[in-house]
Parts: sequence; structure tokens; C-alpha cells
Amino acid sequence: MNFRRPFNPSRRRFLTETARASLGLALFAGARTARSATAVNPFAYDVRKYETTDPKLIAYRQVTAFKCPLPDARRLCLVGTDRLAVAAGNKVALLDRTSGASSAEIPLNNPVRCVTEGPDGSLYAGLRDHVEVFDAQGKRRATWPGFAGRPWISSLAVNAEFAFIADAGNRVVYRCDLTGKAINHIGNRDRDRGIPGFVLPSPFLEVELHPDGLLRVTNPGRHLIEAYTFEGDRATAWGRPSMGIEGFSGCCNPVALAILPDGRFVTCEKGLPRVKVYSQLGEFESVVAGVESFPENAKVGSGEKPGDGVKASLDAVVDGQGRVFILDTVTGSIRVMVRNQAG
Amino acid sequence: MSHPAPNPSSVSRRQFLREGMRLAAMTGAGAFVGLSSGRTGAREHYVWQIDPTKCVYCGNCATACVLKPSAVKCVQAYEICGYCDLCTGYFVPEPNALNTGAENQVCPTAAIERKFIEDPYYEYNIIESRCIGCAKCVEGCTRFGNGSFYLQVRHDRCVNCNECSIARVCAGDAFRRVPASNPYFLKTSAH
Amino acid sequence: MRALFPRSLFPALMGLLAALAGAASEMRFPPPEFETDYTMPGITTPPPRSLAMEYVDTALLVTALGLAAWLVHRRRSRRGLVALSVFSLVYFGFIRTGCICPIGAPQNVALGMFDPGYTIPLTALAFFLVPLVFSLFWGRTFCAAVCPHGALQDLVLIKPVKVPLWIEQGLGIVPFIFLGLGIWLAATGTAFIICRYDAFIPLFRMNGSVFGLALGGIFLAAALFIGRPFCRFLCPYGALLRLGSIVSRKAVRITPDYCTQCRLCEHSCPFGAIREPVKLPVTPNALAPERRRLTWLILALPVLIAGGAWLGSKLSVAAAKMHPTVALAEQFLAGDKAPAPATALPTPETRALGRAAETAPELIAAASEVRRRLGIGGWWFGGWVGLVIGARLISLSLRPNRTDFEPDRGACYACGRCYLACPNERVRVGLITPAEAAALQAHAPVPRPDVKTS
Repeated sequence: MNFRRPFNPSRRRFLTETARASLGLALFAGARTARSATAVNPFAYDVRKYETTDPKLIAYRQVTAFKCPLPDARRLCLVGTDRLAVAAGNKVALLDRTSGASSAEIPLNNPVRCVTEGPDGSLYAGLRDHVEVFDAQGKRRATWPGFAGRPWISSLAVNAEFAFIADAGNRVVYRCDLTGKAINHIGNRDRDRGIPGFVLPSPFLEVELHPDGLLRVTNPGRHLIEAYTFEGDRATAWGRPSMGIEGFSGCCNPVALAILPDGRFVTCEKGLPRVKVYSQLGEFESVVAGVESFPENAKVGSGEKPGDGVKASLDAVVDGQGRVFILDTVTGSIRVMVRNQAG
Repeated sequence: MSHPAPNPSSVSRRQFLREGMRLAAMTGAGAFVGLSSGRTGAREHYVWQIDPTKCVYCGNCATACVLKPSAVKCVQAYEICGYCDLCTGYFVPEPNALNTGAENQVCPTAAIERKFIEDPYYEYNIIESRCIGCAKCVEGCTRFGNGSFYLQVRHDRCVNCNECSIARVCAGDAFRRVPASNPYFLKTSAH
Repeated sequence: MRALFPRSLFPALMGLLAALAGAASEMRFPPPEFETDYTMPGITTPPPRSLAMEYVDTALLVTALGLAAWLVHRRRSRRGLVALSVFSLVYFGFIRTGCICPIGAPQNVALGMFDPGYTIPLTALAFFLVPLVFSLFWGRTFCAAVCPHGALQDLVLIKPVKVPLWIEQGLGIVPFIFLGLGIWLAATGTAFIICRYDAFIPLFRMNGSVFGLALGGIFLAAALFIGRPFCRFLCPYGALLRLGSIVSRKAVRITPDYCTQCRLCEHSCPFGAIREPVKLPVTPNALAPERRRLTWLILALPVLIAGGAWLGSKLSVAAAKMHPTVALAEQFLAGDKAPAPATALPTPETRALGRAAETAPELIAAASEVRRRLGIGGWWFGGWVGLVIGARLISLSLRPNRTDFEPDRGACYACGRCYLACPNERVRVGLITPAEAAALQAHAPVPRPDVKTS
């Protein structure tokens, strides 16, 4: 086009140019739409490669599974030699360990956050800010005083002398006598004693008694399992963050802990729901159940199910024969896992 | 029409038709106002918002909005944030190191600011001018963490289209109209 | 109704949702307690534009319309209209980014009429009705200087090209069809296509998809040479205003007093709206063939409407695909047999299909209800198209009754360009003397041979 002449396009010229330009633009726009219609979400948060487990690492198989009869199951514990107690909603349900048949229900006034059995057969139920004690028949024996601050009781462990109450809200484990009176605080941040303190983005602080006489407490925000004496001295700690199978995934794992009869550890994670076995020294050994065995749980927070990672978790307990009972809080099912013969 | 029309009867007929139709149109408009007065939102007007409980992080908010970048942004609900060192909304699934290196960040536009508060807590802020609303961090945070990152339509940017073009393609059907007086879904702590 | 119109207003539901949100927050775990004196920032919640500002918009609209009517009919000032156009372009266009505008408002009104769950915003109702009522009295004053779309096209028109009348008349029915389509799809909650294919909103926002900006660019480029291409050949609200303008109380008059038929104004209209005087036939018998043609066309009108309605009903299946619920239901039913492999990265489609799988019965029920309603609407839409075509044919066969050079009432945008083409007007405003006007009229172009004199 000669720009020296005044710009005076003929109608035909104008029409052809316009047609040409619009055809080009239409093709371009069409190509764009076609591309965007078939494209995958380029912004997906991709953890697919961690969602499958190497079969060689799986050392357990499922012998049975049953569903908790009550909704909102949160945690479970062993009762006697043949039963389980599940904290579910405002109740504690007592189930048969092999059939899942419900034998009793203990109603409470508020949501039960955790439950454990004492050596004398009494049941300790943790509510948001206090603990209630029941005898083996389900009759309330005592209601312990509540804790100050922002209590959020998440786990209990009881031996013949003491009750250990993990309070996720106050980021501390209380050692109490069996009347519920606190004797000392364990795990509070104390630089002089070398205690870094619990980091709990979500309410998963679990305390367990280990056969070696120490306590084991999860510290999910630091991806650690820590050992404490009853007096509150920090003895050891192990664990490292990793999405890989040998580490603890996400921002805050493990969420639950169980101890095998020989002192090894069973850990539960959320986000990538998986249950694994670690040696006494904290070396990864094997997988009890991988992410693929909790498909519903793994969907939470991934856009396929409503809710976020806080509401989806796993809990595990181990009985005297080494059987692992896994509670999936999303489906409310309890799986009974035994070690493979070969392993 | 200053000159006398050659066919006055025709003109008056058309004039009559015209007047009649105008009258009919006026009556229609009046009836219409009466009819719809009960249906108009005189006291409240409505704006688009995302229900975070239905959001599935499909990524369409980043691409479908009529505005580029999108009027949908990630927001941080500080009250439910864990202030994690290893934030799954900030870091890619397996970061090389917990630092602000671009290769470690989930956010494709580096719109999240990581600020040290005290050991071991970090504050995460959304730099809204950079955020494109892709929800990648939202998925990371919601899946592993507390879900303190979530998407919201920002009303200082949203032009409140008649038909929200993201709502049309929203995979979770999470868009709805909410009263303009209460235009955000807020995630807050129980305490 | 909830399932039918998943995106519409449900104030009661909102209350329920608020309650649910409260319930969810009960589950929340508190953030850490900081040792340092860190204070937690809050979520900022920038408010939407206030309702009061929308009332200001409405007041401005009414004022601008009134001013435009005064400028067109009383002041007869093209300059004033240009100034008002610039204001409208800046305020309603670039500041208010073309929203809310009356062009899309018929859709809100249609949805409000047919979906009891949707409340029409009061401002949308006002923006829909006020320019229409003005058009009943003063013609298309909205188009003249208030509509930002019109103002933009009008201001960039540098080299008008005359569009042949047959193209003008042919393409002129597109706005009516577009209006029918927009109402049909909006009333059934399917889509707001008038907004989606609006050419200039992306330009006003200076932001948007490539498609939207390209569409705007094409129309703007065309508007350099073709007067107001969007208004003439696409704008659905313009179709309504055209109807209002046809029966308006006042119409634009080129001459301030009397027409000397000097033909000087003939080419001053870039929109081809100025019509020549038509002389009556010498003998009344000459009208007979025209009358016969008109009778046939009037008789053919019901046939056209019926045929259109039947064709329209066939369209509804295709149109239903535009409804998100129907599209998802169809995709779900088609892809039911072959689910995507679980290891694939999720796409928006797979996520939506996942949701579909969970709510399949309600989704399919809702989709078939939408289809049913679109089917009924399809008959109406098709009938409307038939009516529009028939009415256009009839109007082309009507003998125009004009003694002077006059703008076509429907097609005139009241832009005021023709005023100063008239020597009488020039005399009126004092630009020339009556003698000079007479001289001008003497040198006026002679009547062309093709002028209708039959």
C-alpha cells in the first residue's frame, strides 16, 4: 500500500482486506478454543507419582474390614482382648475386633475426640477440654476437671499410675494422676532443656506409651516422633519430611502413632493416606497400607470430595498379636491388617 | 410535512395507527413495571461468589474470567492457617529446599509471599496483583493442610457480569450469587 | 427450580449456607500462639460497587437521555450531541466499562419473567425501560448520544461508505433475530449470548479474551467506513428502540420549517436513513399490483410463522448444548462407559464428570427439564423469526407516504448530521443568508432518473 497517497481504499479492496483479516482472526480464535477445550488443567497440584506404592514394600494384607456403625468416627483403641472402642460423634462404640459387631454404646454430651483403655479396664474418653472416665460396663466413674487455655484434647495414654493427655490446642502433653490432677507438662517449648515444642497446624497430637518406658509423642509440624521421659525431658526424636514413601508427607504428618509389641512403630499420614512401619530407630521398614488402599480418603482436598485435609485422617492401633487396626475417618471403616507370612 | 399531504386520509390513518401503537406500548410498559415490581431486588443487589466448600480447583477461574488476569484471587484465612515452615500451598510436593527459590514454589506467578515470623512459623500472604486464581496453592493447602488458602471473587476487580463466564464452566458448580451486603465466604477459627 | 437454574438467586438458600459455614467453622483448630508480638492480619474484603452508585448511573442515564432529546429536537445541535457522545463514551463506556447497559438488559428481564428465583436488579429494569419509553416520545435519542457503543462507532466514522439498500434491509433483520435468540436462551437460563458476543465491552474494559478483543477490533475497523455497523446489523436493543421510534411522538426533521426538496441533505446521512419523497401514482389503478402483492404477503405471514416455529423447535436440541447442565448431563451419559484412567491428571471436565456421577439422577432430571423448556421456547423463537421476516417483507411492500426528504423513523439514530445540510437550517442558525440559501438550492443536484415517480 502506498501511504504517500491519501488513504482511500476502494470498497472491494476494503472488503477483501476485512474478510482476510477476519478469517485469520476466526481461525486463530477457533484454534484457541479448540485447544482450551481439550487441555488438562495446567495448574493441577500433581502428586500422582506418590499415590502408588511399590508392591514389594507392602508387608501386610487385609484379613477383614468392617464399618463403624456410628457416623463421625475419629479415633479408636483396644478394649480387653477382643473388642475395640471407637470415638464417634457424641458416643463411644464398642465393637467386636473380628466381626465389627457392636456390643455397647456409651453416650456422652459432646463430641468425643479420643478414647483409651486403662490397665484396670476402665475407659477414658477425651472431649474437647476434659476427660471422662467410665468403667468396663460403660458407667461414668469420674469427670476430670477441664484444662485452661485453648484446650483441644486429641489423644490419651494411661498406665497404672498416670494418665497422659495430649492437648493439641495448648500444644502440650499433661501427665496427670488418676484423679485427673496435672503433675507436670511435657513438650512445652523450653530452649534450656532442648525442647523445640510441638508444631501443630492441625489437631493431631498423639501420645503413646512405649515398652522402653518412655513416651512417644507425634510432632507433625516438624515431621517428628519424639521420645520424652515422664518428667518431660526430651530423649530422642526421629523422622523427616518427604512425599516419598520413607518420609512423612505434606505439612503436618504423622497424624497417628501405634506401637507394635516389639517396640517398632506404626505411623499414619493424611493427605497421602498411608500406614507404614518404622524400626525402633526410626528407619522405614515396610508399608501396612498404601495410598491406593484409601481411595476415598485420598480424594479429600483433591477437589473430588468436599472438605479439607483437617477432616480426613487415619488412626491405627496394634493388638498383642501384631494385628493392625486402621480407622479411616472418611469412610468410617476399620480394616484389620496382618503381616504377610513371607515378610 | 409542512405542505398539505396529497392524501390526507392515508396520513391520518397512519397517524392513528402510530398513536394507537404508542399508547399500547406505553400501557404495556406500565403493566410490565407493575408486574415486575414485585420481582425486582430493590433493597438488595447480588454479586458472584465462590462457595469454597464446592470448589474443586479445576483451574477454570484462571482462564475463563472475562478479565485477564482473573477477578478471582486466592485469599488467605490467617485464622485457620498453620503458619507451617513446610507449607504445601507454597512449596511444590518435593522441594529442593525450604526457601523462596522459584523452583520450590507451587505458585506459577510467585504470588505468595513467605515471611518469617518466629521459629518455626512463617506467614504466607497473597500478592493479589500477581495472583491469577489458578488454585494450585489452594489444592496443596486443602489436601495436606487446613485449607486456609481458598478462592474468592474479589469485588474490587469483578465487573459482575450478567452471566459469569467462569460460573458457566465451573467444574464444581461453586459459583452463586450472594447479597452484595455480605459478599464473601469467610473461613474463621472456632476460637 | 433449584436444579433447573443452578446459578440463580436463592436468598433463603444463602441463609442456609451461612448456617453451614458456621457449622464448618466449629471444626476449626486455632492457629499457633506466637511468642513475639505478631498480630495476625485479617482477610481484606473489598466491597462491591454500592447500590447508591447504581442509582447515580440511572439518574445520569435519565439526564443524558433528556439532554439528548433536547439537543435533537429543540436545539438541533450536532455539536452538542457530539459533546454528549464523548461524555457517554467516557462515563458509560470507559469508566463504567459498558456495564450495566440496556443492550443486555432484555435478557435480565426475560430471565426475571420466567425464573421466579431470579430477581431483576432494579437498575437493570430501569436501564431496560427508560430508553424505550424515551424512544416512544423522541425516537432513538439513546442511540444518538447516550449509548457508549453507538458513541464509539459514531465518533470513529471517518469515511462513510454507502451500504447498498438491499444489504441494509437484509442484514437489518439480524438484530431482531439476535434479540429473539437472546431472550430465548436467557429465559431458559441457558446463556446470556448478547453479553457474550458484545463487541465493545472488551474494548471499554481494555481487557478480555483474544476473541472478544478481536471482535471489538473488527467492528471498530468496520465502523471507520461503515456507519455504526454494530447498531445497524447486530444490536438487539436497537431493534426494540427501532420499534419504539417508528411510533414515536416526535421524529427527527431535517429541515427546521419546510422542505424545498433541494436534495442537498440526500447524502448527509452515513447510515442510509434519509428517504426520498414518493410521488403518488397518477392513476389509482397503478396501485392494484402492489395491493395484490401485499395481500399475498399478509396471507403468507402465518405460513412463515408456522414454518419458522417448526424449524425453531428443531433448533432446541442444539441450543440445549449451550446450557451447562445439559452439556454436563450429555457428556456424562456419553462417557459413562469409558471412565478416564484414574492415574490421569484431572481436567476440569473430569472434575465436572465426577460431580455429575455423584448427582446423576438430579442432573439428568434438571437437564431434561431444561430441554423441555428450550423446546417450547424454540417454537416461540422460530415463530418470531418467521414474523420478523414476514413483517420486513410486508414493510418493504408498503407504499411509503412521503412528500419531503425525511429520515426513516426506525433507522434514524438522531445523530444530527443532516441538520446543517439543509440550507433552511443554515439560515435558521445564521450561517448563511436566505439569498445564499436560494443560490445553493438552485445548484442542487438534479433528480436522478431512477427516482420513483410512477
